[in-house]
Amino acid sequence: MAISVDAPEISRDLSKKAGYNFTILSDPNAEVIRRYDLLHVGGGPDGHDIARPAEFLVDSSKVVRWVNFTEDIRVRAKADEMLAAAKGMP
Amino acid sequence: MPDVIEKPSNSAVWWGFVFALSAMLCNAVFFINAPAQRSIPWLSLLLAVVALIFVGRGLWRVFAPPRIYRGRILSAILSIFSLLLVAVAVFAFFSARALPVSAGAPQVGQKAPDFTLADTTGRPVSLDQLFAPAADSTSPKAVLLIFYRGYW
Repeated sequence: MAISVDAPEISRDLSKKAGYNFTILSDPNAEVIRRYDLLHVGGGPDGHDIARPAEFLVDSSKVVRWVNFTEDIRVRAKADEMLAAAKGMP
Repeated sequence: MPDVIEKPSNSAVWWGFVFALSAMLCNAVFFINAPAQRSIPWLSLLLAVVALIFVGRGLWRVFAPPRIYRGRILSAILSIFSLLLVAVAVFAFFSARALPVSAGAPQVGQKAPDFTLADTTGRPVSLDQLFAPAADSTSPKAVLLIFYRGYW
């Protein structure tokens, strides 16, 4: 599941183009992004507030089991790291 | 002893250009999902510093006495290009890492805050709904929340 400040239409185009089959949610006012303390003030084009990249693996009781906060927007969590974290769950 | 001594060419400025170009090209590596991604920003910065050393050495060779190297104009032009590439690479390094600390973000063992947001069709989806049983009535054991910058 992915979240950004992009409008639903933008995410729909991205999802279609990339062939994603996971849920993509829109947080245009960055309310949830703020709630998770991930707001990157002025980080987007034209000084828009956006989310800093971050990944959370959450279990069914909504407890965080694994997190990743990159130090560099060019470096993201790799699929095998996330899969390993998911496989390590009870 | 020969009458005309051929001045040696200034290879340092070329090396400076090669290193500056490499510092820039490091950014392409992020798109091909190469290994050791975390060290690539530092490699880029290192290449930029090495480029600066060669450019400095190259310019010194042609402009400082006794000026035994040839190619002053070429060296100057090449150095300007190299310095521009270095500036872009260094700017990219610092701007890509200018991220908020996010000290208040949920950590391992903490609860993920609830939310309800619109999906790509405009339908509201909550964190609880993401754990709802699928068509084959199996409930997901975990959900991966990926916050991304958007504007793709």
